[in-house]
Amino acid sequence: MLQKQVLEQFQKIVGPENVDDGEVMTNAYSYNWCMEFVNSMEGKEPLPFSSIPKAVLLPSNVEEVQQIVRICNKYNIQFKAQSTGLGPWNQPSSDNCVILDLRRMNKIIKIDERNLFAVVEPYVSGAQLQAETMKVGLMVHMPGAGPQVSPLASATSMNGPGFTSPHTGHSARNVLGVEWVLPDGEILKLGSTGLKNNSDWYIGDGPGPSLRGIMRGWAGAKSGIGVFTKVAFKLFPYPCSTKFKLSGISPNYEFEIPDYMKLYVIDCKSYNHLEKVFLKIEEEEISFICSHLSSYGLGAIFSNSIESLLDKIPIVGMKVPLVVLIAARTKREFEYKQKVMSKIMIDFKLENVIGSKYNPNSLFYAEALRSNLGLHGFIATGGFQSSKGQCDTVKVCLKTTKMSIPLKKKYIKRGVIGNDFGEGVWITSYESGHYFHIESPTMFDQTDEKSVKGMAENMEENHQFDLIKHLGAPFFVEGDKMHDLFGPEMMNYHIWLRKIKKAFDPNGIADSGFYISAK
Amino acid sequence: MNDYESEDTLFHSLAKICGSKNITIDPQNLKLYSNDMSFFKGNSPNLITWPSKTQEVVKIIKLANQMEFSIIPVSSSSKYRHHGDTIPRKDNSIIMNLTKMRKVISIDKKNRVVMIEPGVTFEELIPKLRKKSLRLLLPLYPTGTKSVLTSVLEREPIIIPRYHWDTSDPLLCTEVVFGTGDLFRTGTAAGPGTLSQQKKVGQAHVNPMGPTQFSPYRVIQGAQGSLGIVTWATLKLELVPTVQKVFHYHSNNIEELLDFQQKLVKYRLCDETFILNNLNLACLVKKTRNEIEDLANSLLKWNLIYILAGRGDLTNDKLNYLEGDINDLMGDSNLEHLESSNLIDRNEILECTNNYTSEPWRTRYKCSYQDIFFISNFENISNYIKKVELKYPENLGIYFQPINQGTSYHCEFDLYYDSKNEKETKDLQGKFNEISIDLMDSGAFFNRPYGYWAKEVYARHIEETSIALRKVKSIFDPKNVLNPGVLCFDE
Ligand SMILES: Cc1cc2nc3c(=O)[nH]c(=O)nc-3n(C[C@H](O)[C@H](O)[C@H](O)COP(=O)(O)OP(=O)(O)OC[C@H]3O[C@@H](n4cnc5c(N)ncnc54)[C@H](O)[C@@H]3O)c2cc1C
Repeated sequence: MLQKQVLEQFQKIVGPENVDDGEVMTNAYSYNWCMEFVNSMEGKEPLPFSSIPKAVLLPSNVEEVQQIVRICNKYNIQFKAQSTGLGPWNQPSSDNCVILDLRRMNKIIKIDERNLFAVVEPYVSGAQLQAETMKVGLMVHMPGAGPQVSPLASATSMNGPGFTSPHTGHSARNVLGVEWVLPDGEILKLGSTGLKNNSDWYIGDGPGPSLRGIMRGWAGAKSGIGVFTKVAFKLFPYPCSTKFKLSGISPNYEFEIPDYMKLYVIDCKSYNHLEKVFLKIEEEEISFICSHLSSYGLGAIFSNSIESLLDKIPIVGMKVPLVVLIAARTKREFEYKQKVMSKIMIDFKLENVIGSKYNPNSLFYAEALRSNLGLHGFIATGGFQSSKGQCDTVKVCLKTTKMSIPLKKKYIKRGVIGNDFGEGVWITSYESGHYFHIESPTMFDQTDEKSVKGMAENMEENHQFDLIKHLGAPFFVEGDKMHDLFGPEMMNYHIWLRKIKKAFDPNGIADSGFYISAK
Repeated sequence: MNDYESEDTLFHSLAKICGSKNITIDPQNLKLYSNDMSFFKGNSPNLITWPSKTQEVVKIIKLANQMEFSIIPVSSSSKYRHHGDTIPRKDNSIIMNLTKMRKVISIDKKNRVVMIEPGVTFEELIPKLRKKSLRLLLPLYPTGTKSVLTSVLEREPIIIPRYHWDTSDPLLCTEVVFGTGDLFRTGTAAGPGTLSQQKKVGQAHVNPMGPTQFSPYRVIQGAQGSLGIVTWATLKLELVPTVQKVFHYHSNNIEELLDFQQKLVKYRLCDETFILNNLNLACLVKKTRNEIEDLANSLLKWNLIYILAGRGDLTNDKLNYLEGDINDLMGDSNLEHLESSNLIDRNEILECTNNYTSEPWRTRYKCSYQDIFFISNFENISNYIKKVELKYPENLGIYFQPINQGTSYHCEFDLYYDSKNEKETKDLQGKFNEISIDLMDSGAFFNRPYGYWAKEVYARHIEETSIALRKVKSIFDPKNVLNPGVLCFDE
């Protein structure tokens, strides 16, 4: 509950219908997917609830966000912003926090076909935007989370790996202009967006140093450095024909595979061989998707239910699979890319199981085009979290995979996480193979306390493992505890990050539960 | 202590760090650093020092914090310094010349990455990489003696937009000494572990982002040496093509060339591509004034260059597909009438896209030039051309470079003049200022605000930009020892 005078001021800003500090609404907002896991990591009871927010506010534009943040500063109340709000990182870390649910800010501001970018508000989903960009032959980079999440949140505040990363890069690297309400309530506009005269969204860096480096890193600040109200990011050529033919009823659609796409699923047999094949394919700059998944993970991306997962024997038996989807705008391009693939298959003695031993449901191609493959991770147990998340060469990704198998197996043996033979990882290439990331999606049962606690332990041990073995910093180095663990081993970066927090949020108003506090 | 004594103390303190033979107070030498090719006027430095190790850089910066002198880092061995960013603005300044830090630390073909120190120049690195069938992502025909690292830190535009995935490319990880004297490594180079521990597990420092939730390399880039001094960096490379096919179209209508080029970039069909006016293309490929004039007179006003490239056994297949698709695109866009030009030998163009030049190509026509450059979207380009041509109709070179996957353009107007002619120089200076301001007022985005531009540029941005940048400065260089006075960091 808010003090009456604060509530009234918030009501004045967003209208009484757009602020609620009642028990029902605030309790509902304290739930989130995987919150029980985060609680468990923090040594708390594994309940799926966070601290209860003081209120939930639904601002509709940047000015309202700014006024809310100013009131928060005045009354020393923290805020947590969320776009579509899926995941524990959307939750307040104290009971002195209001949630800014940005769902009313749902407009596509512009699709600039000529300058190849889009400008969106927080609650625009990837799917919503892609439906529009396809009309002009362009596509959006969407994170592996899927087309239902917010590309703005991904670009400004979260992570950024996606299945189409060889072709569309990483969310953090696609950012152009940004509109940003700082934790002290000032509005910052990055790059050409900050021009007083003739401002536009085409670049986000300068004049001089790029403040994008303060906005986020490999991971985003998860609302710990302010609220992003608009962002521009690059659009990429749609990889194939945009003409779709769809029939059937959800979820069993029939999809006519558009011109021109071809899928390759290859068993590279060993991690060494996989490294060479991965690099070769990416050097040729032909892939739309180029990912390594464990054979179990591979089964999952082709399945829509546990039952259908079980009939994937030809692919589930693979040792070290690689999934490559090539796509082309013209027949010539398609033929060339197939020729390159054929040559690689011969040179590296590989066999494509697609078309010979297995043919996926046509829906797979639609899901690949709209970045829907990640959601299959939920099929087996309903819950998963990724440990790892480091990003550099394919070599370190594969080494991490190999070295971590015994660790994962330990928890599989205890029966607390799903059995993927310890090999369950996702590795994708970016920007035609210039860098790669690895994560280890790990399945667990969110309704089983033992499983939740086991998963938390597994995550913690993975963090320690990555630290000691110098395998890179994982995704979830966030919050004071983790920064204090990794910082001293990483050039004391946490000291600099704290200085940034202090300079940009002098009153500590942006909830830093998933960022860093000034201390 | 009087000035003389404090200078003496400074000399001795620095000599302890990097040896007296690596310091000079020779007035002739110092004078070289009190001006450059720009109109910017500053001071002469007190001395020049040549550190050769990172630890020396650390110690010198710490000393500057103690003794309160300023440091201006310089990396190029080139005498062609420009834009005023290395001219001291304060009295008590030293030049930190990094040309002795010139190791190519590693070349990694598998991961397409090179690690270099700041003193490594284009003339050294290009051939070294070529031997391994690798190539740098180059700006347009760079000067050989220019530091590769500073070119990247300055965000000089590269000429292959499809490989320009982010504004920061090709910069990856860095080792940097902040203005506080603290050593730091950005991106994956931050750790965990030392560089060799990281290498042992297969890392090659190819991910610039981070560590974790911030990306300090982005603020160091574009800072004109005012936040940190980079002591090495990794840069992204590409494989050398075995065949490169050059295309040259010219037209008096820039819109149609821009339209055509946009399609090439959008569908990632070509490697290098840029548009030059006749004078600049002539300056690029010819050496003498007469040759330049002859060629410029025979070319149509606007010239689109693009290069298709392939590698290995399927090169011909690739080129056939690309050429076929491009022909179709021209047909679909009613651009078949575009005139292909054969006035320039294709190898002359390849020399400018694959190699370095010993003298800046922009000095070939009239010995001197002043360049005005900024970023724009497509729509405003014609308007900017009109504005500049109105004020400087002759001796004007123009260059447009799509960058960042074609989402914006580096626009450059090169004002050629004879600096030995006093009147011409004075007139030019007036025009240079007038045109710059006019462009700024029309919304041109000067993302690299050098010299006198800086004040004008920040005045045309919302105030929060300068406020935020000053916060960043107060974190990384709280005592203002690094290149004070540049950007919005007033003395
Ligand atoms: C099952 C699952 C799979 C995933 N897989 C991937 C993946 O493959 N790749 C990947 O990159 N990510 C992945 N994620 C994380 C995902 O990127 C983000 O959840 C999503 O991209 C962001 O969109 P969202 O609308 O869900 O953001 P939200 O969940 O609403 O927000 C994400 C974070 O950003 C903050 N935030 C949101 N909007 C703003 C704003 N406007 N201003 C300031 N802070 C804000 C929130 O507080 C939160 O901390 C996955 C998440 C889930 C749940």
